[in-house]
Amino acid sequence: MLPARNQEAMAAAASGTYSYCSRPRALPARRRYREEEPVRYANLMYDRRVVRGNTYALHALPWVGSPDPLEIQRQREAHRKALARKRAKEQHQSRTPEPVEGRKHVDVQTELYLEELGDRIIEVDVECQTDAFLDRPPTPLFIPAKTGRDVATQIEEGELFDFDIEVKPMLEVLIGKIIEQALLEVMEEEELANLRAHQYAYEELRNAELAEVQRLEEQERRHREEKERRKNQQSQLLQKQKETSEKIAARAFAQRYLADLIPSVFSSLRDSGYFYDPVERGLYYFSFFFTGSIVQCSLYIYF
Amino acid sequence: SCFLGSLSLALSESDSWGVFSEQRESIPQYRGMAHARISAKLPPDIDPTKAAIAFGERALPKLNEELQSPELLTRQRALMALCDLVHDPENVYQAIQLGFLDNLKYLLLDHDSTVREKTTEVLYIMASHNVGRDGFIKYGVIPALSQLLNDPVDICRRNMHRAFEIMAELPRGAVGIVDSSLISSLVLKLKTELDEIQELILDTLSGCLCIEAFEALATGAVSILKEKLTHPSVAIRSKAARVLLGISVPLEGKNIVWDEEVIPVLVSLLEDSDPEVRANAAGALMNATITTQGKYAALSADAIPPLLKLVDDETSKVRLNAIKALTMLSEAPEGRKTLLNHVDLFRGQLNDSSEAVSRAAKIAIKVIEWKP
Repeated sequence: MLPARNQEAMAAAASGTYSYCSRPRALPARRRYREEEPVRYANLMYDRRVVRGNTYALHALPWVGSPDPLEIQRQREAHRKALARKRAKEQHQSRTPEPVEGRKHVDVQTELYLEELGDRIIEVDVECQTDAFLDRPPTPLFIPAKTGRDVATQIEEGELFDFDIEVKPMLEVLIGKIIEQALLEVMEEEELANLRAHQYAYEELRNAELAEVQRLEEQERRHREEKERRKNQQSQLLQKQKETSEKIAARAFAQRYLADLIPSVFSSLRDSGYFYDPVERGLYYFSFFFTGSIVQCSLYIYF
Repeated sequence: SCFLGSLSLALSESDSWGVFSEQRESIPQYRGMAHARISAKLPPDIDPTKAAIAFGERALPKLNEELQSPELLTRQRALMALCDLVHDPENVYQAIQLGFLDNLKYLLLDHDSTVREKTTEVLYIMASHNVGRDGFIKYGVIPALSQLLNDPVDICRRNMHRAFEIMAELPRGAVGIVDSSLISSLVLKLKTELDEIQELILDTLSGCLCIEAFEALATGAVSILKEKLTHPSVAIRSKAARVLLGISVPLEGKNIVWDEEVIPVLVSLLEDSDPEVRANAAGALMNATITTQGKYAALSADAIPPLLKLVDDETSKVRLNAIKALTMLSEAPEGRKTLLNHVDLFRGQLNDSSEAVSRAAKIAIKVIEWKP
């Protein structure tokens, strides 16, 4: 409807409730979709003139028989003002500027083809249908809505810490550990080398001393054995000497003893009468023979 | 954007922060929330072959538990970590207190060769510390180690022999080795092992012979050593001569040395180019010529001229041993006769820098000029 009327009515009834009054007139039904249907009648249900809703608390139409001339004048002035405002507004709207001197605005077709502009909205039917038996797509990740405020920060170089200073203790520990291990190993080897060197020197002396000791032992042994042997030799010598002297003594004694032997033997034999003249003895025995002392004679012969 | 990403220096690769922040935001549930882990990517493991070492006191007990784990990889990693830790004597002490040696003894018989290698290496490093050596003797590690004498892997045997060698340098350790009746097996191994390991065995033997030589003599060590005297490698020659020096200290040793006619070989070694070889050969001669038969054997092998040359050698050990050997030889009348002509040489050594050499020279002169 005409907005002017509305405003008029609003301006008039400044109580705040809606009021609308206008002269009755036949309203043509608005054509929406149908072109050819002449509508001569309006549906009661859709008639705007019919009051709907609660009727108990409505104000009675402030229709007075003869409107106040003051009221009418005020309305006319408001109307004029509205028109003026509208004109001013239209003037201020930018329109195509006036053609320059000697030129004329001409309507020009920009498109290649003429296009009919009509009220009819171009409709296109589009269909969409999911494939039958599709796999259920994976549940989209639940990303909880972001809450809170976004805050950003940027750390500039050199703000957090100074790298060179901070890294020093770590480097020291790392390198310290490595060097410590290396030192340990080197010390181990050195210790072993020292141990061996000491041992070799000691071994040298020990071997020399040991050899000396054994040599002296050996020497001692040899000397002792030599002494033993010589002693034995000497004692044997002495023994032999003794034996020899004893033998000599015995021989001498025996000689002397036996030197006297022969004369004494002969004399005793002569004394015993063994040396006899056989003829004489024969004669003697012959004389005894008969006397029978043969036994005595045999005894003597035995001796 | 933070600098913290770039702080993990040597431990992180050169990842730009973009990656970290990207990681953070790509985990939707973490978006907008703080959480403890900076990045979903863990820091790179510098050495995946080692187990992670716990902090402070817990390091060794945790490794002890890991050593007993049935899983092979855990055991290997624990052993690698232990190898590093054991260079520190304090750790060795703590380890022995915690009873590591029993576990290590058990691991020596493991099927996997890496485990055995690393175990022997750990034991070898422990043996180089005094606490370790004491622990070995107390826990009887030596017999356990000797089970690896015939191990197919070279490194295991080498580490084992290194451990034995270090143990033999200590008198108590040498007693331990002798008590485990290892000498005969070691002597027999001399014939078959690699050169490197032979050197270690020879060193072990020379340490053990100070304690007891009879077992070695019984196994026929002298003949084996005689072969080694003519080995092309200098180290083996010198070490073999050193072992002969030790073996000819007891009387049986001297007799066997004379019996096997090692003396001529020793005389030929007197002219070797390496001073160590010369010193050890002269020393072995010195010990072997104490017996009369040894003296005559040396004299017949013409030992005096080379020995006289050695009296002026640069190394004090060579001089000392040479003078001593000549002293032995001058006790025999023939030797004395020859040496009477060279007494001046000995007088020259009377003022030698090494005290032992000058003493030896004095004794030598006394012996040479002795009249019966």
